[in-house]
Amino acid sequence: MLKRFIVVLIICMLLTSAAFAAEVLNFASTQMVPAAEQIFAKSVLIKGFSDESGIKVEFIPMEDPDMFTRVSAEVAAQKVTISLVGDLHGGLDLMNTKALFDDLSGISLPNRTFIKALEDYSVMAGKKVYVPWMQATYVMAVNKKAFQYLPADLKVEDVTGASEKWTYDALLNWSKNLNEAFKGPKLGFPMGPKGLWHRFLHGYIYPSFTGYQAASFDSEQAVKLWEYLKELRPYMHPSSSVWESMDEPLLKEEVLIAWDHTARVKNAVIEKPADFAIVPAPRGPQGRGYITVAVGLAIPVEAPQKDNAVKLIDYLTSPDIQVKMLENIGFFPTIKEAEGVIPEGPLKILATGVLAQSGSPDSVIAMIPSLGAKGGEFSAAYRDTFTKIVIEGADIGTTITTAGDKLRAIFKEVGVPLL
Amino acid sequence: MISFSRREKNWIPYLLFLPALIYLAGFIGYPLVKTLQLAFTSEEGKVGIENFITLTRDSTFWKALKNTLYLLIAIVPLQVILAFLLALFVNGRFKGYMTVLYIICIPLALSDVSAALMSYNIFTSHGFLNKLLMKFGFIDAPIYFFGLGLSSRAFWVIVLTELWRATPLVFIILLASLQVISKDYFEAADVFGFSSWQKFIHITLPLTMPSLQSALLIRTLFAFQIFAVVWLLSGRDIPILAGEVYYQQAELINFRLAATYGFIIALICILLSWVYLTFLKTKHLEV
Repeated sequence: MLKRFIVVLIICMLLTSAAFAAEVLNFASTQMVPAAEQIFAKSVLIKGFSDESGIKVEFIPMEDPDMFTRVSAEVAAQKVTISLVGDLHGGLDLMNTKALFDDLSGISLPNRTFIKALEDYSVMAGKKVYVPWMQATYVMAVNKKAFQYLPADLKVEDVTGASEKWTYDALLNWSKNLNEAFKGPKLGFPMGPKGLWHRFLHGYIYPSFTGYQAASFDSEQAVKLWEYLKELRPYMHPSSSVWESMDEPLLKEEVLIAWDHTARVKNAVIEKPADFAIVPAPRGPQGRGYITVAVGLAIPVEAPQKDNAVKLIDYLTSPDIQVKMLENIGFFPTIKEAEGVIPEGPLKILATGVLAQSGSPDSVIAMIPSLGAKGGEFSAAYRDTFTKIVIEGADIGTTITTAGDKLRAIFKEVGVPLL
Repeated sequence: MISFSRREKNWIPYLLFLPALIYLAGFIGYPLVKTLQLAFTSEEGKVGIENFITLTRDSTFWKALKNTLYLLIAIVPLQVILAFLLALFVNGRFKGYMTVLYIICIPLALSDVSAALMSYNIFTSHGFLNKLLMKFGFIDAPIYFFGLGLSSRAFWVIVLTELWRATPLVFIILLASLQVISKDYFEAADVFGFSSWQKFIHITLPLTMPSLQSALLIRTLFAFQIFAVVWLLSGRDIPILAGEVYYQQAELINFRLAATYGFIIALICILLSWVYLTFLKTKHLEV
């Protein structure tokens, strides 16, 4: 009797889970993981698509390492449940090296003109790995009060228009003025454990001073860079080391100038659009270094709902949805058709800053290197070097030589050319 | 109604605890074995202590070990003394002592993350404390309690936060222990003319020793797991062992070193538990 009862129970459970698996399209994403962004993804993006197409979608937010582990495990076990993956270029690149994705060159997405650089980036060794979904960058957010304390030879237009005068030396002088005026440092960076400070180091200041992210890590130009950071350090807000995003410190006026990811300063601009300006990063001796971040959509091999996944890609890359994503999570469109429909207001402020940065003639563009599991060690090398030299006062030459060897070893091990 | 045969009745108890056993084996046993395996396997797949050598060559490991021990030394004794004093005070059962008891216990309902965020809002440069001090003219510019190069100040903010957050746990254990001490002992002591101090030393302390031992053990083990408060208030300015497990696992994606850190924490915890159980062994006492 009991045996029969257990058998019936197990069959019921299997049937229920199979029915769920057949109906729902699982969309796993390393983007839109914070609670507020998840609500947007589920109640606006996914709901809109489901209402329009009648296809049920389960949005599964997950961290980078989990995504790699899960997709690899599912493909290896030949029991793929995820039909669409949303991830950064680096993550998708890594998973592609394990042959986890389909070639998307055959799919049709009418009335879309993807930005050429992003389109080129999504094709790896002749295989169209992903469809560019959204893009972002990192900028400087300035409270307009700070413009009153600009150094004598620097005008507001120089900063907002990315002129040659908007340099790292100008930033130092500006920070000094603010420090005197407000009796404390007013320049902030997201140096907390989950902050993106390492992106500033390898993607902004390094290319600006040396022309490269890692290739000239222990060069003479790099020594000047670290001397500069030591000089800038007293004007950096001490709480920087616990901040993970700069919107709150900007809104509380703990800092008046901050560098961060567009998505992480967006709230400040939305809440007080009249108070803030988004400006390009300063330039260094080698040009204006900055990062462009690409996020793509890929379909795992043997995904259970490939056709529906393509429909979801089509929906997520439509102009209206692209603008909605800019409005809600601060990621910028990847299709040209969306550019004309960005409304006036805070988003325009963000977009203006981003466009001024990407349009500057002295650009030294940095792409986040696809180092996969070694990405953390790469970031740690920059962060640790900063801590050792700038905070603990270690010798610049010795420290960057040791860290440089470590960085070169990481690139060599992964088999990625030194950037 | 389902009826069971005699044979079925024999194995039903085993069937009933099987889910718990499967859960324990799957979620505790398997990760434990896997952690051991990872800690003793090198990147090339060789079994040995290579991960431990890598770890001990890294200065951050020694910093993390030192900071964890410093936190332990600063927090646990203070917590036990404070909790003992509070327990003795509340055990006086004065009028309104229940209200005091509830107030002391409020932090028990808070997660470590909430406590850390509250602490941050008090001590940050634009926090309540700085605003208060500036409003009353004690200071012109904010005092920075944590941040770049201020790890010693942040250390004491962490100690203060942990004291506030976790003392009630020790307090509850000690209060429960005090409440079951029979009044007869104190009455007998009165007959022999014991002073309050003598009563504390010869009656209260020995009779609360088993609870004190448990409280010390729990707090010491928890101190090794301290993570969120340090992580939120100082980031990696103050590296600690539990923080490094997370950092290695989630940021550097180095599962082997994360497992090695985890193994070392477990080893230290086992060692300290042994020390407590051996040296704080209570004599046979009847309450």
